Amino acid sequence: MSPVQEPLTAFERNVRTILEEGVQRIDARTRSRLNQARQAALASAQAPRRAPWRSFVLMPAAGAAAAALLLAFTLWHRQPAGELPVLEATHATAEDVDLLADSEALELVEGGDGSFYEWAAAQGDSGASDS
Amino acid sequence: MPAALHGDVDLTDSSAQSRSRALNQFLASVELKAFKIAQAALRHEDDALDAVQDAMLQLARAYAARPPQEWKPLFYRILENRIRDMQRRRTVRGRVIAWLPFRGEDEEDEADPISQAASPEPQPAKRLELEEAMGALEQALGALPRRQRQAFLLRTLEGMDVAETAAAMGCSEGSVKTHYFRAVQSLRAHLGEFYL
Repeated sequence: MSPVQEPLTAFERNVRTILEEGVQRIDARTRSRLNQARQAALASAQAPRRAPWRSFVLMPAAGAAAAALLLAFTLWHRQPAGELPVLEATHATAEDVDLLADSEALELVEGGDGSFYEWAAAQGDSGASDS
Repeated sequence: MPAALHGDVDLTDSSAQSRSRALNQFLASVELKAFKIAQAALRHEDDALDAVQDAMLQLARAYAARPPQEWKPLFYRILENRIRDMQRRRTVRGRVIAWLPFRGEDEEDEADPISQAASPEPQPAKRLELEEAMGALEQALGALPRRQRQAFLLRTLEGMDVAETAAAMGCSEGSVKTHYFRAVQSLRAHLGEFYL
């Protein structure tokens, strides 16, 4: 059997007595502070805490909002002042849409005889020779 | 059927209110001894109070739902971790302060002249003897290696058995026995004149 589990020796009993006497002598101020600490600990244990799952629910929404904000910020900073590329792009897109929506233009392009292409090539050549 | 008891704590009622009462009882039953244990390690009253307060808070926040049988080893384990953190911080602070060229005197370490003054009340011989014995014990406990002091105080002052002490210290029961035995030997060598 180990010394720990043997009955206490006279020395150990004396030490225990002194230690317990020391506990009894703890002053009122310290006891009061310990009591306050205990009450604070109990209050913190009883305080309602936010359920952990709520964090997981809010996380994707917060992430999406942050990503959108970052994207908007990046685009805003990449746009040089004084230029209007968006306007040009919009203009070009409008032309394409008009071309595609115009059924006559499509028939002209898709005509199987190739006359449109000959005409277009001739226009190009004449334009080049004119210049 | 009688309630299963662990010290003064009712272990059978699991409702929130009863659990809170049980936790209150448990903390009230350990707080004074825990303070003395922290004080023996830190040798500073306010630090000891802080350590006990932190241990209470952490136990209440993180482990209140655990079975009350587990509270005591958990509480003392948390307390010991807190004490160790404080000792490390104090060591680091001491090193930093030692390098400062114009370091002021640490007011907290200064002896309080009022408490140092001799009491006008006559001290009975027995009381004086007890105070001397307490002072010598505190000094001897402070000189013990950390694990030995921990094993000795948990076993002797808190009255924990070997298994509980091992759980609180996070080591084997064999280690507890060794630390305890060495602590007793060392204390006996230091305190023979007061305690034999």
